[in-house]
Amino acid sequence: MSKKPTAGPALHKVIMVGSGGVGKSALTLQFMYDEFVEDYEPTKADSYRKKVVLDGEEVQIDILDTAGQEDYAAIRDNYFRSGEGFLCVFSITDDESFQATQEFREQILRVKNDESIPFLLVGNKCDLNDKRKVPLSECQLRAQQWAVPYVETSAKTRENVDKVFFDLMREIRSRKTEDSKATSGRAKDRCKKRRLKCTLL
Amino acid sequence: MLSIGAMANIKHTLQKELFLASGERLLSVVTVVKKKDKKPCYLCVVTTAPPVPVVTLCLIKQSEQREGEYKRKRSWQLDEIKWVDGRNEQFETHEFDLQLEKLYKWYALNPHERQNFLAVLNRQIQKSVRGQRAEFRNVPAAWLSEKSPEKVALGRAVQKTQHMDDEEDEEEEAQEFTALTDKEANELGKLFSECDFAIKDAEQFIEQLSRELHDLDGANMQSVLASEQKVLKMMEHIDNAISEADKFENRLDSYEDILGHVKETMEKIGGKNAMIEIANNNNIKLMKELNKVISQLDLPHSQQQALDEPDLKTANGRKAAIAAAQCLQQAMNSDIDPALLRLEAVQDQRKRFEKWKQKFSATVSRFMNNLFIHLGNEIGDMQVTSTELTLPNHSNVHRELTPYTELMHWTKAMDRKTYDGLMRVYTASLSKIYDRDVRNFFNLAKIQVTEKLRNSREDLDMSTSSRKSAVSTIPYGTLGINRDQWGPGVETADRMRFDALLEKVLAELEPIALQEQLFCINFFQMDVISPTTKNTQTTLEMEKAVDMTQSIISGAVSPSGDGVPQKRIDRQINEDVRKLMMGLFGCLEPELVSFIQSFERVDSFYSLYVFVRLTQHVMSAQDTHSFLSMTFASALVQVKRSFDRFMQNQLLSIREAKLHKRSKAILPYVENFENFAQTAEGIFRKSDRRTDMEKWYLQLVNAIFEGIQLHSQEHPKTPVQVVRMENYHHMYALLAQLKVPGLDALKKEAKKCYNDALKAYVTQYFGRPLEKLNQFFEGVQLKVAQGVKETEISYQMAFSKQELRKVIAQYPAREVKKGLENLYKKVEKHLSEEENLLQVVWHAMQEEFIAQYNYLEERIQKCYAGAMINLEFNIQDILAFFSDIARSH
Repeated sequence: MSKKPTAGPALHKVIMVGSGGVGKSALTLQFMYDEFVEDYEPTKADSYRKKVVLDGEEVQIDILDTAGQEDYAAIRDNYFRSGEGFLCVFSITDDESFQATQEFREQILRVKNDESIPFLLVGNKCDLNDKRKVPLSECQLRAQQWAVPYVETSAKTRENVDKVFFDLMREIRSRKTEDSKATSGRAKDRCKKRRLKCTLL
Repeated sequence: MLSIGAMANIKHTLQKELFLASGERLLSVVTVVKKKDKKPCYLCVVTTAPPVPVVTLCLIKQSEQREGEYKRKRSWQLDEIKWVDGRNEQFETHEFDLQLEKLYKWYALNPHERQNFLAVLNRQIQKSVRGQRAEFRNVPAAWLSEKSPEKVALGRAVQKTQHMDDEEDEEEEAQEFTALTDKEANELGKLFSECDFAIKDAEQFIEQLSRELHDLDGANMQSVLASEQKVLKMMEHIDNAISEADKFENRLDSYEDILGHVKETMEKIGGKNAMIEIANNNNIKLMKELNKVISQLDLPHSQQQALDEPDLKTANGRKAAIAAAQCLQQAMNSDIDPALLRLEAVQDQRKRFEKWKQKFSATVSRFMNNLFIHLGNEIGDMQVTSTELTLPNHSNVHRELTPYTELMHWTKAMDRKTYDGLMRVYTASLSKIYDRDVRNFFNLAKIQVTEKLRNSREDLDMSTSSRKSAVSTIPYGTLGINRDQWGPGVETADRMRFDALLEKVLAELEPIALQEQLFCINFFQMDVISPTTKNTQTTLEMEKAVDMTQSIISGAVSPSGDGVPQKRIDRQINEDVRKLMMGLFGCLEPELVSFIQSFERVDSFYSLYVFVRLTQHVMSAQDTHSFLSMTFASALVQVKRSFDRFMQNQLLSIREAKLHKRSKAILPYVENFENFAQTAEGIFRKSDRRTDMEKWYLQLVNAIFEGIQLHSQEHPKTPVQVVRMENYHHMYALLAQLKVPGLDALKKEAKKCYNDALKAYVTQYFGRPLEKLNQFFEGVQLKVAQGVKETEISYQMAFSKQELRKVIAQYPAREVKKGLENLYKKVEKHLSEEENLLQVVWHAMQEEFIAQYNYLEERIQKCYAGAMINLEFNIQDILAFFSDIARSH
């Protein structure tokens, strides 16, 4: 008891991205508080924190729920920078939202400058399968091209909601252990250098 | 064809011309033609005048020479008609045949006339012809009915009615003269044939008739005179009969008198018999009653012996003694009529009973007394060696005493004083044992609490050895104080162990207390209220005393009367049992309370789970008035008080919280509330006392909100809005996680306050990277508001294009970028790592900056159109700045 709060558990930072109305906030609220809110209210940006037990280890997850509609994509750069893992969400009932994932993916890769950043492609609203507009094969194909997992969820029925967050946290965790293995200090420097180079280009 | 009017007319004419003179009356006429010549003639039914109407049928022809002259061509009597043939039953038929001396075939010009004629003819034939009557063929049956044919025809020719009316009257008149009946005609014929001369000389005939009448009168008178003699004789006979009857009557009266005497005697005898019967019955009853009394009051010698020298140690002796004692009780309580009680023998017997009773009672008392003390000492000598947390079970005592139960019941019924004394002895000797047990038990329990505490304390000291103050007086978990200033506390796991320990203690107490209670109720027969009312009935002197005690008891229990309500009795029993238990377990309540208080020293949260746990036990108790339930309940009241006190202190600590120089952005009570609420929820989640907790939640959260508003202004280094924003954000997340329905409104309030503070921070602390530009355009806006046209702003001295260019020149892209970077750094410094709101705030600021840029550009385009003035950076530059800031962090 009463350990100093500064020596807290590991912290994983997750960013929710995707077009407006695909259910980013719904997924977040379902994961956070086990509740489903029917009314749609566009998000600007919201931050959540929760303690969870990941494979027996207590960790903290920070979730940044972002706005789907943005006048200027560059505004997103800052929070993409802060993220350690991304849930890229689209609605399987909306092809446009699926096409938009391409753009999000590119921006994230550009900002993070890292091809293997922890990333999950999430097809939400799978409870509305009868209104599906994006064929499963197409989703899987895209995930394959990006070499990321594809999961279908329903914020309404809570199907796979925990799964996507936990899967992503596992990826983030394994990434972190990899990084620290690779001679921690220098790896970071190298990263920074590479990043600087790119900006110059 | 002749009209109906003409028909009526011809009838009238014929009546006037032909029949009036002879006094005849025309009943019906039909205008017919014979087949051979076309000249019409009239067939009439005519009747002569009364009193002897003769109806004839006659044929009238019109004179050929003179118009209006009619001649009677032929006449027939009605009995001359053999048959009438209508040829067809249709109304529209015109032909009809009459068979007279020969066959006449007629053709009627008018079917109405024909119908009328045939009907009248038929009626007249029916009325006046004797013997063979003419047969009507092919004529509708309705016409031939007795009903007047005119009436049948009425429906068809309404207009005819007028003319018919008077004729009808006449006809009715004629009908009064009816023909002689057949019989009368025969009689008359016979009379006439006897005096065949009569026809010739009517006068002679009349004379003869009157003569015969005279003769008959004379004979009648003679026979009347002859019968008088016989009547006189008969009267004489009747007188004789009456005198005979009188004689009989007298004789009957005398018989009746005799019978009356007999009856009286019989009644007297019957009465005597009944008296004898009653006496006999009474004797039998008396005998029975005496037998009963004797059998009731008789105590066999063997039983007397058993009572005199009871052997209570052996089972057999005990059995005999109990049997004898019960017999004695029965005998003493026997239901004997009060009158019989006055019998000397009964009194003697009762005195003997009383002696036995006292002697036996004394023996029992001595014996039981010794037994109780012995048992008490026996157990008292045994050492308690167990370190296990259990209350010793004393069922062996109960087992040993059970055989004596009936003796106790007997004592209770027969000798209240001894019974009360025995009860006191029992209580005294067993309460010693229970006192010792309970004390040991609770001591052990307390040791276990402190042992566990010591274990965890050691861990605690190990892990927190770096802490500067070793012992703090501030209770652990105090909301308003920073965590590191709290005194020692316990982990959730420890708390659960305490809870389990408490549960074990309570669970141990229950069966022991219940067992003892059950035994006592049974052994001391406490579930039967005061069966002593009868035990003194056997002595006359004490009868009054009985009445008195009865009235006292009923007065004490129920002042309203004898019918003591069941509820009252139950309450009385409960009261008695509780008193007894109180004597046995006197130290239980103080020990329990002190045990509970022992928690207080180690865990300030103790009141929460003790409250829940005790409530559970009190609520689940079936008998809410039992000793243990009452004990638990009173302990619960104390715990509830300390629960409320604890909450009250928490509330106070929030209100009195003070900020230190090194305070973090998240206020201590906001930070501590999470742990507090989780602990409380863990304890109260499934409890019935949730509502008690929720009431406090409301108060606490409200106090926290008030505290945030207040303390945000006192914070040493963080701006007010940031403190509010972060604390409300924290509270919102906490309340959303808690999901306490009663706090929903406060959750929404937290969200709103968070959003308000965010907005206020973004606009207020934005620091305005384009400060001077903004000021310039605020001035412009003021002018516009004063009425200057937007296009003419540039002609104002202070707002000329030159001036604008000067201001714009102060904001080259490089400077703007630097300003934004500084802003980002400032925001980063303001915000705490914990709440993770940097991205949220920066997002809002980026939007705000773009909005400002857009506003300025729009103003320039509006007010300085065509001047080719632009800011020294464009939207792409801004986005690039943002991206650069992003990359550099």
